[in-house]
Amino acid sequence: MSSRLALKFCGLQLSSPIVLLSGCVGFGEEYTRVEGFSNQDVGAIVLKGTTSQPRLGNPPHRLWETPSGMLNAIGLQNPGIDKVVTEILPSLNFSETCFIANVCGSTVDEYAEVTRRFDDSPIDAMEINISCPNVKEGGVAFGNYPDMSARVVEACRDVTDKPLITKLSPNQTDIAANARACIEAGSDALAVINTIMGMAIDVETQRPIIGNVQGGLSGPAIRPIALLKVHQVYEVAGPQGIPILGQGGIETAADAIEFLLAGATTIGLGTALFYDPLAAKKINSGIEEYLGRHGFSSVADLTGQLNLSDMQNTPASG
Amino acid sequence: MSDPTTQNTICLEEATIISQQSFPGDQYILRVHAPRSAARAIPGSFAHLACGPAIPMRRPLSIMRAHQRKGWLEFLYKPVGAGLEHLKKQTTGETLSLLGPIGNGFTPDPRRPNILAIGGGVGIPPMIFLAESLQNDNRFEVLVMMGSEVPFPFELSKAGISVSRVPPTASYGVTLLEEWGTPSRVASKAGYEGCFQGFVTELARIWLSKLSAQELQKVQLLGCGPTDMLKATTVLAKNFDLPCQLALEEYMACGVGGCAGCTVLLHTPQGPTMKRVCVDGPVFDAYQIY
Repeated sequence: MSSRLALKFCGLQLSSPIVLLSGCVGFGEEYTRVEGFSNQDVGAIVLKGTTSQPRLGNPPHRLWETPSGMLNAIGLQNPGIDKVVTEILPSLNFSETCFIANVCGSTVDEYAEVTRRFDDSPIDAMEINISCPNVKEGGVAFGNYPDMSARVVEACRDVTDKPLITKLSPNQTDIAANARACIEAGSDALAVINTIMGMAIDVETQRPIIGNVQGGLSGPAIRPIALLKVHQVYEVAGPQGIPILGQGGIETAADAIEFLLAGATTIGLGTALFYDPLAAKKINSGIEEYLGRHGFSSVADLTGQLNLSDMQNTPASG
Repeated sequence: MSDPTTQNTICLEEATIISQQSFPGDQYILRVHAPRSAARAIPGSFAHLACGPAIPMRRPLSIMRAHQRKGWLEFLYKPVGAGLEHLKKQTTGETLSLLGPIGNGFTPDPRRPNILAIGGGVGIPPMIFLAESLQNDNRFEVLVMMGSEVPFPFELSKAGISVSRVPPTASYGVTLLEEWGTPSRVASKAGYEGCFQGFVTELARIWLSKLSAQELQKVQLLGCGPTDMLKATTVLAKNFDLPCQLALEEYMACGVGGCAGCTVLLHTPQGPTMKRVCVDGPVFDAYQIY
């Protein structure tokens, strides 16, 4: 891969700005089933959300396609931290890409405990998931309130020196205020955004389609919302040197570049993989072509290059 | 987890539509040129198809036939939902992004040489594939029983291969299967000629009930179809003490094991567990499902 795509992200050296997102790629090796796919094509992979104990997750149906997107309510199905650390992590090839854990919990103590276990593992970094919309305890119950978000981040910060990325919820009034609280609490980076809560109803049976009643909306439908949230968070995080993992409906290199211009340092792929499992290769090529055409020597130079000169109204935070 | 045996097992290819035939009852048989997937397909496996640019999420379809030499795959589907509604409008020469083959197929137990393959509706395809793939396998004798409440999208004819103890009203079989030397019988409540009047699982029950204990020890059940049919097949398996494998369907996103969106609750000796229909299945032990 071109050195122009290499960059630093909260202390990690990445070969590409592309990050494969938690919940879309299992525990890191699932997509290697597909011919032509390689973990070496991406800068990092965020593993499936992990809790202290095994979780079966939500009942079916867990998925539903919606216009330009999809709803999901998996419910953090995972084998628990013991199995992840002792069986799964040793099987991953850390020479191919960086692996980031996704830390979940129902209590502040559980977040801290899972973080502590990952701290004592080869994992490269941890993403604190305070924004999962599909569990009854934890998740957005923490992530929608800045003071609660900060408590979780502080508890995790206390037990690790590894990079901490806090995944912010779009389901809140003022995401910038939450970003500020998480930075003050010790977050090294911010992931913007998690899915947006939604639902679908089968009008024939008059019942919710998703087994969990509600789910998280992802895909191109949420891209403009995610882009604005990245822009708003960058206003807070940029001046403090806190990088952003921008995510929400990115499908193409042009989409990725939008997020980089808005303030993201890295960009996440999730739902796009379901459409095209080999999307990362194409996006890498597209970004590289763009860098050449616009005379940028590094992808890092794109971050926050949004030109707002002569704009009468900049978007309001919140 | 890194597992060299699963790496590079699924192909992404642009599949060209060879033909798309419609049949009464809003049924379609689609044949596509997808040589890399066709070379690897096994009975029970499926392909994850992009139905068109307006419907980006893929749709899983069971593989009904795979011709390795000519490089084609064949599917039977009913256009339920926006994706397959779009698919049915695609015509010869157009291309579809196809991810496949995916999933673990049926693994018949050689200690039980008599396979009763039960298929219902759009669950029939894996049974056709199974019959074709085992036609020259001397270890097994396959009897296919199919049920449908709309006209069968296959040519039916008076059964030439006799099957003892099948009710005489089930007098027709699928011509293609007969050509492969595989006996078949059909069931429907719709009153079609040559069909057993009732559910396919009732036909299976009648046949099984006439077998001796010694004969039953040689039988295994394989099934694919609507949930009620799968449950009824499992009841048969339990009543007659037969091993039984079922192919399941569920809404799917990635199709490669990444999203855990298509899981099914299994009851294993180690306790309840959620398994992914796409790569842990779609074929599971019926006793662990119901």
